[in-house]
Amino acid sequence: MKTLTQLVALVRLDLRLFLADRRALIMLFVVPIGIASFMGSLFGGSGTKGGKGGIGGGGGMDIVMVDEDGSAVSRGVVAAFQNDAQFKVLLTNAAAARDLVLNGKRPVALVLPKRFGADAIPGWFDAKRRPEITVWHDPSRSMERSLVEGLLVPKVVQAVAGNALTPEVGRDFIRKGLTNLDRGPGRMLGQSERFREWLQRSDDYLATLPSGGRLTTGGTNTFSIPLPFSTKSQALTRTATAEYNGYAHSFAGMGIQFVLMSLLDMSIGLLRDREAGMFRRLRAAPLRRGTWLLAKTLSFGLISLVSLTGCFAFAIVVFGVRIEGSWAGFAACLMAVSAMSATLALTIAAIGGTPAGTRGVGIAALLMLVMVGGAWVPAFVFPKWLQSVSRVTPTRWAVDGLDAMTWRGLGWEAAVGPIGALVAFTALFGLIAWLRFRWETE
Amino acid sequence: MKGPILSAKGLVRRYGDRVAVAGFDLTVHRGEAVGLLGPNGAGKTTTLSMLAGLVQPDEGEVLIDGLAFVGEDDPRKQRVGLVPQDLALYGEISAAENLAFFGSLQGLSGSLLKHRCSEALDMVGLTSRSGDRVKTFSGGMKRRLNLAAALVHDPDLLLLDEPTVGVDPQSRNAIFDNIEALRRAGKTLIYTTHYMEEVERLCDRVVIMDHGKVIADDTLAGLSQRAVTAGRMAMELADVRDGAWLQTLQSVSGVVTAALVDNTLSLEVLEVDRGAAAVLACLRDHGVRVTAFSTHQPRLEDVFLQLTGRSLRDG
Ligand SMILES: Nc1ncnc2c1ncn2[C@@H]1O[C@H](COP(=O)(O)OP(=O)(O)O)[C@@H](O)[C@H]1O
Ligand SMILES: [Mg+2]
Repeated sequence: MKTLTQLVALVRLDLRLFLADRRALIMLFVVPIGIASFMGSLFGGSGTKGGKGGIGGGGGMDIVMVDEDGSAVSRGVVAAFQNDAQFKVLLTNAAAARDLVLNGKRPVALVLPKRFGADAIPGWFDAKRRPEITVWHDPSRSMERSLVEGLLVPKVVQAVAGNALTPEVGRDFIRKGLTNLDRGPGRMLGQSERFREWLQRSDDYLATLPSGGRLTTGGTNTFSIPLPFSTKSQALTRTATAEYNGYAHSFAGMGIQFVLMSLLDMSIGLLRDREAGMFRRLRAAPLRRGTWLLAKTLSFGLISLVSLTGCFAFAIVVFGVRIEGSWAGFAACLMAVSAMSATLALTIAAIGGTPAGTRGVGIAALLMLVMVGGAWVPAFVFPKWLQSVSRVTPTRWAVDGLDAMTWRGLGWEAAVGPIGALVAFTALFGLIAWLRFRWETE
Repeated sequence: MKGPILSAKGLVRRYGDRVAVAGFDLTVHRGEAVGLLGPNGAGKTTTLSMLAGLVQPDEGEVLIDGLAFVGEDDPRKQRVGLVPQDLALYGEISAAENLAFFGSLQGLSGSLLKHRCSEALDMVGLTSRSGDRVKTFSGGMKRRLNLAAALVHDPDLLLLDEPTVGVDPQSRNAIFDNIEALRRAGKTLIYTTHYMEEVERLCDRVVIMDHGKVIADDTLAGLSQRAVTAGRMAMELADVRDGAWLQTLQSVSGVVTAALVDNTLSLEVLEVDRGAAAVLACLRDHGVRVTAFSTHQPRLEDVFLQLTGRSLRDG
């Protein structure tokens, strides 16, 4: 009874002091929501709405193109980019394009040189005549550059095939082929007669076509080189509606980061209280240190729980984040994360000595845990070795558990592993704090 | 209940190599007011910490009503109220909230807690400010609240660790009045201070500590009857000259302090008769003439000086 009264009084005091501290409130609610919103928009945004300004986002990426050639082929390349919904193309001259990229207004510029169309076909056979496309890019936007370069190849091939391959060009190839056949090593294979016959027939066919016509299928401009395979991309999540949601991940990550930072701050406050002799009156009361530590764990955990809940409520209302998995699992994850965070903060204070020293080491340690745990960038993009290392950090389990219950849309069984790990970490940290936290000044 | 409310036997407390308290004995009866005197670092705070059960003694034991504390949550701790030397209050919450919190730690709740809190606030005259945040209080008001926080659970034995230190004279008087009222109400007090006049006014018994040991434990009357040879003197000088002789005077054996203000030389000496002769000889050597000479009535402060060879305030 007395212990319960003490416990309630201690927790109430902490909550009361926390609410009186405007800086702490901002650290726990405003800052994580702001940063998580920003990071969520960087890493894919929400699946349903499409992030603004992100790579491949609904608005399309702004690029610049310069057509110094003006041939049918070069115009075809420009058109291919213009017709692609992923890009918004600004056509201008070389000097203006350079400026736009230099000033960071556009991430990438493509310059199609003079004689691009004329040299495109001969360039296939003669490296010296191969036209050179210049790609100017903003060094800070390498992802955009990769995307543009990757799509450049099919678009150019398409434009060249569609616009430069006339019957005359074809017959020219065949003539060269026939000449080579008479001189080349092909003779020895014994197949040359059959090949000659095939070439001759093709030449006869091409001769029937109207001169200057195009070798297009179906008579349109969009000739396409068939690939031996096609791709169909599908993001894998459990439920039909679930999609990767950058916000779900960033709110989990930033929520955890700022909860840990704030709790560290509060633990350092305890060290400062200890130095100032604030605990003398507590120790003069019939109060067990264990009761006091339990009260700290409870109030830290509660503050963490409220902060994380607030962060996710914001993400749900504003960014359409959905708990695609189990609500019970999600709630249990939040509680486990909070308990782990509370005891971790107390452990750091228990091991640390002076307030100033503990702050430095504590912040470094927490940032490391948060980073390796995948709170900033999802752990699945880490190299293999780092993924294994991250498995021994409590933050990794925290982020994984919340991810599983939010955008991955997994059932409550998927939360059992992370929650078990978090409970084990809580027990470990709680034990260290209990063994090591001195509340004596003496 | 019969027997002493508090009895401490052979308390020793070490911090590494340093011995903070080196064998402390004290028996206090119900209703007594004991002054605990000693220079800084004498071990007063450490002693009070052991008496209140905050710190485990390395040797010896503390008995409250004849029994030692058992564990951190021994209910007998509620019999003791500690007023810590450093303010231990939460500035961001109100005075009433502070008291309610400390009362809850003592196991109080509900209407009893409310009643005790308002009583304690009333006692120190802070009722009108009970809802204000403590960080808006003056230093003297914080000291008063610091006292009230040790009273909410209505302890029988109060341990006061320099409760008036660093406070303006007006607040000091207010606090002192509160403590006298507690004394009249029958509380047992152990009072640590630097101010001799407070002990002379409040206490019937004085314990003097130095280097972690009790060097005197007597009633005020008993101490006054001791043959006090140490004392203070004042001399009026005709001509101070360049004042260079003051340093020589300070190093004369038997002289504890020597201070010159205008033409008045104030001295503390270990033995008045021999000290006076040595001082006069020294002044004559330097050609300084004395026009008037007086010695002070020996007081508690002089007892202290004699016992420790040190002045109380500059410990
Ligand atoms: N926590 C501590 N660690 C080390 N030494 C201490 C500690 N507390 C007190 N001491 C030492 O013990 C001695 C007595 O201190 P204290 O009890 O505070 O004296 P007082 O209250 O009479 O000024 C001093 O020498 C002090 O330096
Ligand atoms: Mg002290």
